[in-house]
Amino acid sequence: MITRRHSRSEPAGRSSEVSWRCELRPLGDGALRFSVPSGVDARVLLDALRATPGVLDAVVTERHASVCFDEAVPDLEAVIAATVSAGRPPEGRLHTIRVRYDGLDLDAIAEVTGLGRAGVIAVHTGVVYTVRSLGFMPGFAYLGDLPTALRLPRRASPRARVPAGSVAIAGSRTAVYPAESPGGWHVMGLALDFVAFDSTRGATLQLGERVRFEAAP
Amino acid sequence: MNHPTDAGTLVVDSVRGPAFVQDGGRAGFMHHAVPPGGAMIPERLAASNRSIGNAWNAPAIELFGGISLHGTGSSTIVSLDGEPHVLGPGEVFAVLPSHEVSARYLAVAGGFDVPRRLGGYGTLVSVALGGFDGRSLRRGDVLSVSPHGRRAVRVMSASLEPARSIRVLAGPDVARFAPDALDWLTGTTFTVTATTDRIGARLDGPACTRIDADDGASSPMVRGAIEVPAEGHPIVLGPDHPTTGGYPVIAVVVRADHGAFAARRPGASVRFASVRLVEARAAWRELAHRWFQVETVSDGP
Repeated sequence: MITRRHSRSEPAGRSSEVSWRCELRPLGDGALRFSVPSGVDARVLLDALRATPGVLDAVVTERHASVCFDEAVPDLEAVIAATVSAGRPPEGRLHTIRVRYDGLDLDAIAEVTGLGRAGVIAVHTGVVYTVRSLGFMPGFAYLGDLPTALRLPRRASPRARVPAGSVAIAGSRTAVYPAESPGGWHVMGLALDFVAFDSTRGATLQLGERVRFEAAP
Repeated sequence: MNHPTDAGTLVVDSVRGPAFVQDGGRAGFMHHAVPPGGAMIPERLAASNRSIGNAWNAPAIELFGGISLHGTGSSTIVSLDGEPHVLGPGEVFAVLPSHEVSARYLAVAGGFDVPRRLGGYGTLVSVALGGFDGRSLRRGDVLSVSPHGRRAVRVMSASLEPARSIRVLAGPDVARFAPDALDWLTGTTFTVTATTDRIGARLDGPACTRIDADDGASSPMVRGAIEVPAEGHPIVLGPDHPTTGGYPVIAVVVRADHGAFAARRPGASVRFASVRLVEARAAWRELAHRWFQVETVSDGP
C-alpha cells in the first residue's frame, strides 16, 4: 500500500517503488499488468490509465489492471501513485433493471438458501450493486456485493446455453448475460427491456456505475 | 498491370466452414469487454490487401474452409493471400481449404463495405458485432465493395515457417508455477487440438503441475496469453479472447509471432522458445514496419 504522497519531481529511484509494490510486469511485449493498490477507486484508475499518453486500451479488474500500447511503453508510475491519493469520484449513474424472476435455478436457490422464492427475490432486489469489473464477454458487468444469504458457488457443470438477458448469481457477484452464452452461474430470471451491449455504444453498464433490480409484476 | 474497375458486389455461391469479414482489429474498447480482434494471421491479411493497393487492415474475408464467389461488376480485383486475380463479370472464383495454414485471406480492391462498429469493421460472433451481420458468411450473401480508383497490383508473400518455435515472454504469474514450469513449456512439443478457434487454442501434451488452486478471481488478458488451468494443459488466447480470465498466465506469445502461431492447424506441432523483452520488441518493430504501416490507397497512373 502506498502511504506517502508522490509527486512528479521525485527522482526515478523512489518512483520505482510503485512498480515494485504494484508488481508492474510485462503481459507480453504490448501490455503491462499491475496489482491495483488497495483503496484505489477502480473508475478513477481506469479513467487515468486511458488518458495516459500511449495507452491504447486499459482494463481494471478487482485484483489487477492492465494497459495495452503499440511502440512506446507508457509511463505508469506517476499515474498509479496519483490515483492512490485521489479523492472519491461522484457516485456512478444508477440503472434500474426490471426482472421477471422465473429462472431455471430460482427454485433450487430458494431451497438451498432456505429463503423461499419470495425471500430470494427480496434479498436480490434489496441492495444497490456497483459494477466492480467487466469481462467474460462484451457488456458483461460483474455487480457486487451480493448479500451473504445468496452466495453460492458456481454450478458444478455450466450450461451450454444461458439465454440472453438472464440475470444470474455466483459467489458474491450478480450479472446480466448480454447475449446467449455458455454459463456456470445460477439463473434467477430474465431482465426486461434491458440491453446490456449495443453495437454502436458498447457496454451499457460501466465500471463504477450502480444497479438495482426490481421484480416485474 | 492497371485495371479500370467499378465497385460492384461479390456474391457468395457456396461456402464450407467458417468465413468472416475481418480487418486489422478494433483497439480502445477492452474496458467494454470487447477484445481488439483482428485477423488470425495479420501478415497474411496485410499481404492480401496490399497486393491490390488496399490499406493493410482493410476489411477482407478470413476463410477457415473454402468459398466460391462471383463479382457483379464489370471487373473485380481480388487477392488470395497476396496473389491478385482479375475477375470478369459473373466469373466464379473458387477457394479451396488450405492444408498448410488455418486461415486464408480473400481481399477485394477497395475493401468490403461493412458498417464501422466500435472503431472497427471485423466480426465478433459472441455478440453478433460488426462484419457482415455479425456472423459467418452463407450462400447467397451479397457483399458490397467500397468504391476505389485505378490501382497497380503485384504479388506479395508473407512467409510463416511452420516448424519454427513460437517466441514467448515469461508471464506475470510464472511465480505461481513450480520452478521447472518454464522448462516444461519450452521443452515440450505440443499438438494443436481441434478445440481451436478465434477465441483460443487448446494444446495437447504432457500436463504441467500447478502448485496452487484456481481461486476464481479474474485478471486482464491479452491475445497470446498462455493460461494453464488446474488440469495442466495450456490454452493460448486468440484474437477474440475474453478480456479477463481466471487462470494463471505462465507466458505470453510475442506479438510478432501471433500470426505464426494462429496459422498452425489442428494436429500441427508447436514448440515455444523463451526470449527477452528487447528481442520481442525488435521483432515486432520489424514485422510492423514491413506489413502494418498505415497506408493510403495507391492509385495507378
